Amino acid sequence: MSLVANYDWSLIWENKGDLLRGLLVAIEVAGVALVISVALGLVLALLRLGKPPVSWLAAIYVNVFRGVPALVSVIWVYFGWSLVVGISFTVFQAGVIALTLLYSAFISEIYRAALQAIPKGQREAGLALGMHPVRIFVRVTLPQATKIAIPNIGSMFIGMIKDTSTFTVIGLLELVRVTQNLNSTTFQPFVLYTAAAGLYVVAAFAFDFLFRAIEKTLTTPPSGGIARATAGRRRRRIELVMKDVEALSGKT
Amino acid sequence: MKVHHADITTAMRTPADSPSGQEPSSEVNGASSGDAGRESRLVVELKGIRKSFGSVEVLHGVDLEVHAGEHVVIFGPSGSGKSTLLRTINLLEEPNAGSVRVLGVEYGPGVPGERVEKRGGPLQLRRHVGMVFQQFNLFPHLSALHNIALALRSVRGLGRRAAEEKAAHSLRQVGLLRFAAHYPGELSGGQQQRVAIARALSLDPEVMLFDEPTSALDPELVGEVLAVMRVLAESGMTMVIVTHELNFAREIGDFNVFMDEGLVVESGPRGFFESCSNARTRQFMEAVL
Ligand SMILES: Nc1ncnc2c1ncn2[C@@H]1O[C@H](COP(=O)(O)OP(=O)(O)OP(=O)(O)O)[C@@H](O)[C@H]1O
Ligand SMILES: [Mg+2]
Repeated sequence: MSLVANYDWSLIWENKGDLLRGLLVAIEVAGVALVISVALGLVLALLRLGKPPVSWLAAIYVNVFRGVPALVSVIWVYFGWSLVVGISFTVFQAGVIALTLLYSAFISEIYRAALQAIPKGQREAGLALGMHPVRIFVRVTLPQATKIAIPNIGSMFIGMIKDTSTFTVIGLLELVRVTQNLNSTTFQPFVLYTAAAGLYVVAAFAFDFLFRAIEKTLTTPPSGGIARATAGRRRRRIELVMKDVEALSGKT
Repeated sequence: MKVHHADITTAMRTPADSPSGQEPSSEVNGASSGDAGRESRLVVELKGIRKSFGSVEVLHGVDLEVHAGEHVVIFGPSGSGKSTLLRTINLLEEPNAGSVRVLGVEYGPGVPGERVEKRGGPLQLRRHVGMVFQQFNLFPHLSALHNIALALRSVRGLGRRAAEEKAAHSLRQVGLLRFAAHYPGELSGGQQQRVAIARALSLDPEVMLFDEPTSALDPELVGEVLAVMRVLAESGMTMVIVTHELNFAREIGDFNVFMDEGLVVESGPRGFFESCSNARTRQFMEAVL
């Protein structure tokens, strides 16, 4: 440490644009991968809860990709696939695919647990009412399971953002790559990596807050700021119907 | 074993009252021709129902007939198969053998050697059969109103506004209109069960099944649910009720069925609680009453 006499903290402010752009790329890759991973994870969870030959395949997929590190995944997709299959991806695409392979496996486990946590009586009530099984899944089971899954999906997303830091090996201009580039001209690793770490932490806080807010709106009755606006509208709508029916029954 | 019915004096719903417009089909009358002189149509007819879970058979060939407007009460010790029998009526349990006929249409495997004229699938069956569960089973993520509206939109294909209005009417029937915006978690057990009844009723079923509707309730909340059921019974609704509330059963039961170990041990019309003769039935009633 004594080798570096002066820490030039002003570097952070001078390069704030590059650093933030790096963070943004990380969030973009992770965000796109999250959307696909949730969809794929849900499908995998359903397959795994289904009948044997297919459920085994889903289980194998999940257990394989849960064990692969992001760094290996992205090298495999970016360099491996282009050699063997002849498809070459942009670094952005490769990053998204690498994350999706891993996190669809994690999220399928989250959804599997959440779906299993819904009491059997919910589906039975839907069946007894004469609802179609697909509709029961979409309108009864899935919303309740999603509410259970959301906090865990949120922490997965924060993990995904952090995992993008390994994508520097394929040259994705995410936060770590940007930091490395700046360091190669300024030789201030402590300052620059402190800034990078700080940005990751801030992003983690921000998304933790966001997912908590989503979770709150999904509680019943909904609570929190976002919900108050929409729940107010729903309540007014119900009150309108109540008035109509009361008025109608008053007449007869 | 054949369940015999005495005269049913309860007011019957006329076909015109029947909201789905389903006329009693001629097969129904054919099927009940053994009970000479009775005018009432059969709504539910179970014959030789057998049901196994894995290698364990829990129903060993049960017969049950429910006529329009009739209130059938099923009681018996825990594990005797009451719930399983009730749940075969709307195919929540698929029988391994036997006939499940509702309004003359066959939904079960059928009875060997008997000709089946019309066959239906579970979705069709459940349009005619409403069910109320011990644990209410309301959808916790929806308000009371939208619990009912979802059913109406899904099953009756109503638009959003029409479904909400019909749902509000159903809530009013059970005295809970002002709780329309409440979520199940904000309602007492008794209120939840009344919403569940309203939800099933909103679909205009031909017959309502109740599986111990008050067993999960605190004692002080039982009365309000029984009151709703009483009104429903007086309106002429066909009802099949599994209950441990024997006083209520005695009051409401036009026909009483005592089950034990997967069989109907004894059954009979009003006055059954005084006139039953089987030793096991008497023993059970003395223990409970
Ligand atoms: N899904 C199931 N899997 C395995 N066994 C079952 C299942 N459902 C019921 N059984 C068994 O079938 C038998 C009858 O159960 P059922 O629930 O019909 O009894 P019940 O008369 O309703 O009892 P209770 O008064 O306790 O509700 C019991 O021995 C029960 O353990
Ligand atoms: Mg039971």
